[in-house]
This record gives sequence, C-alpha cells and structure tokens, in this order.
Amino acid sequence: MVSDSINNAQIASAPNSRDFSKKKRTNRSAKLKQCKLDVRREQWLSQGAVKNKGYKEDQKDARKERDRSLENSRQRDGHNNDGSMHHESDSESPSNSPTNSLLCGDSGNNSGTNFIGSSSSSSSVSGSSSGGCCSGSITEEEEDDGCLDDWEAVADALAADDDNNKPELEHDNSCSQSPSESQLSVQSDASRELENGLGLDSAKSMPEGVGMLPGVSGNNTRAWRPDDVFRPQTLPNLAKQRSFPATDRHFGQRGVPWACNNVLPVPSSCPICYEDLDFTDSSFLPCLCGFRLCLFCHKRILEEDGRCPGCRKPYEHDQVESEGSVQGGSLTFRLARSCSMIARS
Amino acid sequence: MQASRARLFKEYKEVQREKSADPDIQLVCDDSNIFKWTALIKGPSETPFEGGVFQLAFAVPEQYPLQPPQVRFLTKIFHPNVHFKTGEICLDILKNAWSPAWTLQSVCRAIIALMAHPEPDSPLNCDSGNLLRSGDIRGYQSMAKMYTRLAAMPKKG
Repeated sequence: MVSDSINNAQIASAPNSRDFSKKKRTNRSAKLKQCKLDVRREQWLSQGAVKNKGYKEDQKDARKERDRSLENSRQRDGHNNDGSMHHESDSESPSNSPTNSLLCGDSGNNSGTNFIGSSSSSSSVSGSSSGGCCSGSITEEEEDDGCLDDWEAVADALAADDDNNKPELEHDNSCSQSPSESQLSVQSDASRELENGLGLDSAKSMPEGVGMLPGVSGNNTRAWRPDDVFRPQTLPNLAKQRSFPATDRHFGQRGVPWACNNVLPVPSSCPICYEDLDFTDSSFLPCLCGFRLCLFCHKRILEEDGRCPGCRKPYEHDQVESEGSVQGGSLTFRLARSCSMIARS
Repeated sequence: MQASRARLFKEYKEVQREKSADPDIQLVCDDSNIFKWTALIKGPSETPFEGGVFQLAFAVPEQYPLQPPQVRFLTKIFHPNVHFKTGEICLDILKNAWSPAWTLQSVCRAIIALMAHPEPDSPLNCDSGNLLRSGDIRGYQSMAKMYTRLAAMPKKG
C-alpha cells in the first residue's frame, strides 16, 4: 500500500517536477530541520501505529524508495556544493561533525524514535496528511525568495542529475525529483542522522555491539540501512547476546570500586564451577595473586588442600577469615594490599 | 558430586562450542557417563610422536575439580613419563600441582607438552628414561618413533 501511494504521488506530480525540485533544493536545509522536528513529533504520536504496520513488504518498499532517493541526493551533493547544500552534506557525513554530535546527543535521549525516524518515510508517505509534508509546503512559501541566488545552479545540476538518474530508475520513478521523493530523501537524511545517533548511542551503551554494526552494514553499504525498520525487533536481542558478558563485567568493576585496582579483570563466572559470579563473589578477592572464585568453591578448597587455584600457594588464613567476618575493616585492608600489588608490578 | 557434574557439563558444552579451537585435541565424553572421557591427541610435530594419534582415557573423580582427573594413555607410547604397560602418566599437574582452575582440555594440552618435553629424571618407563639420561637421544627417538608407528598410526595395507 505504501508503494501505491508513492507511485500515485509521483505520477501526479510528474509534470511539474522541475518546479518542485527547484523549490525543494533551496528549502532543503530548512526542511531538514523542520521535518526532523515534525517527524519526531509525529513519531511520538504514531509510535504504536507504525510499530503495528511493520509489514515486510512495506519495509522493503520504503527502503527501496529511500535508497533511490539517497542515491539521488548523494549525486546531487556531488554536483553542487554551494551554501545550501553544505548543511546537508555536513549532516550526511557519518561522524565527527558538530551538528551530528549535537543530533546524536539529542536523539540519544529518545532512542525509541530512531527506528521510527527511519520508518517515517513509509508512514508519512502512506498517510498523506503527515507532518513532514505539511511542513515542507509551509517552508516553501516562507523561504522561496531567500534562496533565489542558488536557483540557476541548482536547476542545472538537477537537470544533469535527472539525465543521469533516468536510465537507472524504473519508468514509474523516473520523476525522481517529485516532492514525495524529495520528502523521502529529506526524511531519510534525517533518519540517517538519527540512525547515526543511535549507532553512537549504542556504541556507548554496548561496546561489543559496535563491531557488529559495520559488519551488518557491509552487506548494504550503508551503516544504518539494514537496521532501520528491523531495529526494534533485532537490536535489543543482539545487544543482549553480544554484550551481556561485557556489561556484566563492567557492572562488576564499576560496582566494586576497590576491586578495580586488581591486576586481573573480574571474570563473569567462577573458573572452578563455571557458575556466574554474583556481586559478593566478584568483590571477593581471596588471594594476592588476584585469582577470583566464588565463595562456595573457596570454601570447598579451604576444606580440602586450601591452596589458591591461581598460584597454588596456600591461602593466607587470617586474611581470609578477616574478610569473612569483619567486612568494613577488611575492605580497606584489601584495598591497601591490592594497591601495593599494583605499585610492585 | 553435584558440583562436579555441573562443572563437567559446562566443560562439555565448552568443548562442543570450541571444537575447532584446538585441532590437536579431540575430547569426547562417554555417552552414558559424564565422568568418563576419552581424548584423541595428535603427537606434537618435531618429536618422535609426530604423525601419531594417541588415545587418552579420563576418569574424573566425584571431587573434581578439587581432585585431578585420572588420565592414562590407551595407546602404547614410548615415553619416559608414561608407564609402558598401564599407560599411567607421571605429570605433576595430575598429582600435587593440580589446580581446580585446570580443565580436561588444558590437561590434554599439558600432556601434549609433556610428550614434546620428556622429564627423564622422574621416569615411569625406565628404559626410555635411561636412554635419555645417558644422552642417547637418537636411540630414544628411534624407539619412540617405532612405537608411534606401531601403535599410534593407522595400519597400512
């Protein structure tokens, strides 16, 4: 149903696509901002609805459309690098641009919208009265005269671009500069930024997940594409799978400040019984060599030969007992010992 | 008892997961008894045992991993630290230097290392140890190679 509406819109607007494209060029940066806002607002509103209509076909179509429009926008960017375009190309570069980092921080707050930002192309196209479209027409009227300087160059570039694009596109979509298309490209830009934001956001939250993202993108040559509409379904699972041990370990280290001074990293599971270390276990440092194990195994070892599995030296009995009985005093004691170990090594 | 079973089960899963991690070691658990394991290890290269495949039998005690597993060679091997008839292995980590942090996999690795670096001063196979201690490296190597061919290599023809 999405593709139908897209095609209709394109066909309807095909005759005067040139005019639209002119306007669209200059309004691009303005639209970008406004669309982002509107789209985001609408995403919040239609969040449930979008999630519900996550059909595969819709996603595919929407993605196809957006890819096409992205190609177009890429080429256009290559053609004319005048002022109005700079903003967009800046925001398109996936990393390190200040606008981008700002956006990242922004989108990081509502990472739930990221997915919807990407899928908004489908939603806004299918729903003809979307906020994105409205904002587009408004800004056209507002800013037409402001950016007139660029019209000629932009139009030329667009004409050349049209010629370039026509052979690639199907006859349905040969009107690549139709407003719905431009809307798509603008929104997809926005969505890409959102996706970038999410990428960085997820990078912060799960260090091992980052390696996964480029790998996924390798198939489709865009970092954000494969996970735009699928994201809510797949990403949480993947993140959970990939980064669970790592976050576990981080949590252990962060939660136990005095354990951070240890030479060895805190394992996520007891190396003796392979059971997961809980908070008490991971803060338990029975031997100076830094070998950690759970309290159960430690007790069993004390009942047997009483030697540390890591260094095979007998456990220092007094230290162990003091740790077991007097919590507060032993903690500072242990901290001092581990610090001295670091100084030595 | 229960702890050793749980640990062995975890080790089993680990072995299944990292089957290709160490191509020289193939560790399989008995179908009916998780305390009985067998391992196939490849003789290390540049030793008389190169090209041979040696079978090890693991008998895991119920106190495992606090107690070391009992390991012996099922394949005949001419090595100073392996009893020629029983296949018993003289290896410190299987006796007093055992650590619960070791696994069956790491024991296999230790045995491969022992094959490459015999310890003639604590021999279970006196003939082999005497050859090495008297400096007859060539004699030791030819004997070991012969037994590797006889016992640890597939029969030809």
